[in-house]
Amino acid sequence: MHERAPLLQIANLVVKYGHIQALHGVSLDVQPGEAVAILGANGAGKSTIVRAVSGWVKPAAGRILYAGEEITTLPSWDRAARGMALVPEGGHVFRDMTVEENLRLGAYLESDPRTVRERMEYVYTLFPVLKERRRQIARTMSGGEQQMLAIGRAVMRNPQLLVVDEVSMGLAPVLVDTVFEALRQLKEEGVSMLIVEQNAHETLNVVDRGYVLENGRIVLEGMADDLREDPRVQAAYLGG
Amino acid sequence: MSLWNILLDTLTQGSIYFLIAVGLTMVYGILKILHIAHAAVYTIGAGVGLAVFKLTGSFWLALIAAMLVSGLVGVIIYRGVYFYMLDQPRIVPLITSVGLFLLIEDLLQKPYLMGPYQHAFPAQEVFPSITLPWGTIPNAQVMILTLTGVALVALYLIFTRTRLGLAWQAAAQDREMAGSVGINLNRAIALNFLLGSALAGAAGVLVGVFYNSVYATMGDVPSYKAFVVIVLGGMGSVTGTLAASFLLAFAETVLLASVGYVLPRDAIAFLVLIFVLMFRPQGLLGR
Ligand SMILES: Nc1ncnc2c1ncn2[C@@H]1O[C@H](COP(=O)(O)OP(=O)(O)O)[C@@H](O)[C@H]1O
Ligand SMILES: [Mg+2]
Repeated sequence: MHERAPLLQIANLVVKYGHIQALHGVSLDVQPGEAVAILGANGAGKSTIVRAVSGWVKPAAGRILYAGEEITTLPSWDRAARGMALVPEGGHVFRDMTVEENLRLGAYLESDPRTVRERMEYVYTLFPVLKERRRQIARTMSGGEQQMLAIGRAVMRNPQLLVVDEVSMGLAPVLVDTVFEALRQLKEEGVSMLIVEQNAHETLNVVDRGYVLENGRIVLEGMADDLREDPRVQAAYLGG
Repeated sequence: MSLWNILLDTLTQGSIYFLIAVGLTMVYGILKILHIAHAAVYTIGAGVGLAVFKLTGSFWLALIAAMLVSGLVGVIIYRGVYFYMLDQPRIVPLITSVGLFLLIEDLLQKPYLMGPYQHAFPAQEVFPSITLPWGTIPNAQVMILTLTGVALVALYLIFTRTRLGLAWQAAAQDREMAGSVGINLNRAIALNFLLGSALAGAAGVLVGVFYNSVYATMGDVPSYKAFVVIVLGGMGSVTGTLAASFLLAFAETVLLASVGYVLPRDAIAFLVLIFVLMFRPQGLLGR
């Protein structure tokens, strides 16, 4: 039997910040078309996984494969070129640029202006508020609007794999719904996702599968429905 | 000093400041490195320009050669040195940069390069002087003003109309994120050094011709004065640097004309810096 390669595969990943070891050999994968969550408390190492996958930190050991090819030490722009898009923790919008300029930069690798316009229209259907604000400078927008912009910018890449770090952090409940609804829609369109969240409740409604991370180690792995029923997950992340 | 002379001196001096400082600003904007060695790149530009001028008698060839060589030296400094320090604390490239500056300057003082002398750069005649109803613009100043004007328009177009300009702006605002949207940072930063250093090289030629003098230590004053300009300009803002260049030139010119017998030009520059920072620590246009 020949199995299809996972879209993203992380094997025995170790990341250190100076003397602090943030990840102690993490392994996980995302299959094509699948949405996968990484749940975990503050400081567990979730963002560190995202940074390593994005090329923002160099792993001390371990491998990262994308569509079967090694990308462990590839620069971030080569990862984008292969079809990855990132919504980093805090959004990282280009703060002195307008909404529209941010979105255009999301499609930096797309040279056909018509395609760029079409995607922009699509982003505006996901987040109509961005259309109203398209001439606004990013730094003058609220935290929630900036998060939507960060997602919109990633969608402009038309990604194969969307990597999302804590989009719901600090958002008003209405916005949380909007954001997760957008993620759900993207998943339905076939975008694979790696979603890092503290908001386990909403996340488990979107993803197929999940991992629980504690102190830089994966301690639990399972289908979303099973994780939702797991007493350890309920105690730690579902407030019950 | 007449109003006309104040205007002319301000524009000339401001143009020179801008050409030198804009490269520093661009580098600082993206890498947050204080690139002191930029002043040595400026001297190299003057030296190469003069050598080519002596060889060919052509000002334009001299200018092009100076820009090419300076641009290349800038790229080599980035790829050969700073590139390996991007993850280090900013003090590391800063100290390295001071070392590089002194190294290049000492090297340029060797007898087989510039030696300890001033060399004349007699290319003033390439440009005509222009007589207007309210005064005359001498030929060397016509050169500086027109070429700086051309550089300004080119910079404006590159920054606002090209993908490269967009990439630079993105990288200056968030370098990591710029990489993750697909901008090849190695290429964008190398091109940033190329352009900024080429402009410094051009400034070296213009200053050499203007004062009819090229020498190995001509980068000394610009090495620290360019910092007055970029600090005033708000660290990393190109428009801020433009404003600061002309503001500093204006303050210097006016003060020099009034209290110049007490304070030399460079002391005035730092007084202006201290004064502005007392009230606007973020610089003129900084946030
Ligand atoms: N830049 C850094 N320098 C030093 N330690 C860091 C840095 N970033 C994160 N850490 C540490 O690594 C661990 C994991 O952090 P992080 O991946 O941000 O966790 P999470 O996203 O799950 O909250 C934490 O102990 C944190 O203090
Ligand atoms: Mg985090």
